[in-house]
Amino acid sequence: MLSNRMFTSFSNNLLRKKLHHFLCRKQSSTFLMRTLSSSSYQDDGEDTSYRNNNGVHLDMKSFFNPTDEHYQLREMVKTFVEREVEPQANEYNKTETLNLPLLKSLGDLGLLGLTIPTTYDGSGMDATASVIVHEELSYSDPAFCLSYLAHSILLCNNLNVNGSTEQKEMFLPQVCSGEKIGGMCMSEPSAGTDVLGMKSKAVYDESMDGFILNGNKMWITNGTLDGNDTGDIFLVYARTGNDRMDLTQFVVENGMEGFKLGQKIEDKLGMRASCTAELVFENVFIPNSHVVGQVNQATICMMRNLEIERVTLAAMAIGIARRCIDEMVSYSMERSAFGKSTIEFGQIQKAISESYAEYMAGRSYVYAVANGLDLMSNGNGLDADGVKLYSAKMAKNVADRCIQVMGGYGYVGEYKVERLWRDAKLLEIGGGTNESHHKNMIRDLKKMGNKLM
Amino acid sequence: MKILVGVKRVVDYAVKVRVGSHGVELKNVKMSLNPFCEIAVEEAVRLKENKGAGVSEIVALSIGPKQCQETLRTALAMGCDRGIHVQTDLRGDYMELQSDAVAKLFQKIIEEKEKDADLVLVGKQSIDSDCGHVGPMLAGYMSWPQATFAAKIDVEGNGLLVERETDQGTETIRIPKLPAVISCDLRLNEPRYATLPNIMKAKKKKIDTFQAEDFGIDLEPKNKVLEVFEPPARKEGIFVDDVNQLIDKLRNEAGVIP
Repeated sequence: MLSNRMFTSFSNNLLRKKLHHFLCRKQSSTFLMRTLSSSSYQDDGEDTSYRNNNGVHLDMKSFFNPTDEHYQLREMVKTFVEREVEPQANEYNKTETLNLPLLKSLGDLGLLGLTIPTTYDGSGMDATASVIVHEELSYSDPAFCLSYLAHSILLCNNLNVNGSTEQKEMFLPQVCSGEKIGGMCMSEPSAGTDVLGMKSKAVYDESMDGFILNGNKMWITNGTLDGNDTGDIFLVYARTGNDRMDLTQFVVENGMEGFKLGQKIEDKLGMRASCTAELVFENVFIPNSHVVGQVNQATICMMRNLEIERVTLAAMAIGIARRCIDEMVSYSMERSAFGKSTIEFGQIQKAISESYAEYMAGRSYVYAVANGLDLMSNGNGLDADGVKLYSAKMAKNVADRCIQVMGGYGYVGEYKVERLWRDAKLLEIGGGTNESHHKNMIRDLKKMGNKLM
Repeated sequence: MKILVGVKRVVDYAVKVRVGSHGVELKNVKMSLNPFCEIAVEEAVRLKENKGAGVSEIVALSIGPKQCQETLRTALAMGCDRGIHVQTDLRGDYMELQSDAVAKLFQKIIEEKEKDADLVLVGKQSIDSDCGHVGPMLAGYMSWPQATFAAKIDVEGNGLLVERETDQGTETIRIPKLPAVISCDLRLNEPRYATLPNIMKAKKKKIDTFQAEDFGIDLEPKNKVLEVFEPPARKEGIFVDDVNQLIDKLRNEAGVIP
């Protein structure tokens, strides 16, 4: 082991102490990587996996399920997905409609307000729990999961992190229960990656003690729930000052005069069971009670939520990849050609094994970032960008290999993988394009000097 | 009323099992709560939620390796109050630990740990061994009334009214007085999902662990498993031209009619 050699060859006590401290540190992701050894289900024979100072046994199962509650949560979601989500996925993809009752039923399970404190009727769990739910939902229906993400992360979590106590009391219980479903409005028809280039404007009106909001927002998941009306409640970013950074975040509710559904975006490549819309704001009056955070300070709100948004989108990619690998293995073990199963052929073996390694690398990266993610701060943008950049492309590649391994059947809707292939592509665009991650990561890397830790 | 529910950890129903040299391969295979045990847990919880039934406590019992604690946690998250884990590494899929020993362990738990148990709910069978023995055997050992394949359970006075599945439909059985053993069938109920708030609540619920060897029961299998093999691959079917040909094939080739 490298560490042993270093211990004997360095006579410097101080250096030895530093190394010992580094190797025993609990938070470093490299530390966690080194302990990944035994498999998740068995625990037989001699146990040689590394134990940290407290004798805590770290293995892959605990890495992906830090506590028993995380594991039980995963098992519960898996069962729910198998019984309720899987059977409806193809249908809603075909009709391009949202399965609203199913989405609302996640409220009964405690999943809609997963990261919201129990004080406001949430479940009080962490980023890892959220990643688990997104991974398991996306194993079956990434489009459904996207609607879940827009509600639970973009709306609920943002409100919890950035809202005042009064706002949390006012809005959170109903979005945690599923009584109200909504999302978040940031992008516009002509501003996506250049988010600070947004044109929606909110002007303070002293006589009415509130803001008048005008503008258009585009690509809003859950922007409509039924194709006819807007969703129930949204967080909306708008320009409130002359500086490029002068943005404010508002709560806009269905029924507010001037708040309208522009159009439901039809005929998307993928994520078809998730409703995407253009929303229109025509002189919408926003009372002061609905201003979230400080006026002109909404970039802080943005920073705080973009991390968990990217990590959960990456978790969706992991779910898609895992499903595709399961399908590849299953199909190629049963399908024969030239007298043997196709899994015995080298090109199929390459496709599956490389997919597995890439998927595990991505999964480990996602969980490493999630395990260290503090929802109330915005510490690690670099890895939030990195994890999505890697995982999105990986999922797309794995899905593509999956269709190839399944041949003609992979090309057909009934076999589901073509839907996963189409759904995967969105992850390279939504919640941050690949290009935006490139830009952000370089900005962060430049600040770190030229020696990564 | 105090209810004891049996929960068994078995190979997940969706797994495509493979047969190795020592029977069905269990290594790295997904395990879950037996579906019929899940139905039994759901029924126990529903009885508790029905105030008229007067259920004071539901205790979940699982016999098997340390991972049974996970199975018990699921039962607790569904609404059971306490768990009992009888630890043994003997295989419960008929290869090592068999029905008689299991029934006797249940008996010991009732007689030594849960003397005031009024009702034992078990699944009609487990999906690994498919025996369906433990319910009836336990009732026999305890000399308690039993109703198997329950499709409906209602509280009636001091006893229960059970609708029992048969090949022709259901028959109604009256159990005039508790204690009793009931085994649960598919149509009894649709089990709830363990909601996240309940999973968190279950964290505080107690699980007591005992060793199977400590009860003084002979845990040796009563039946010896000679061989485990996959069923032969299905052969392609054939078309016959008329009824006479069909009868000829059934009689002379398949040998199923005299």
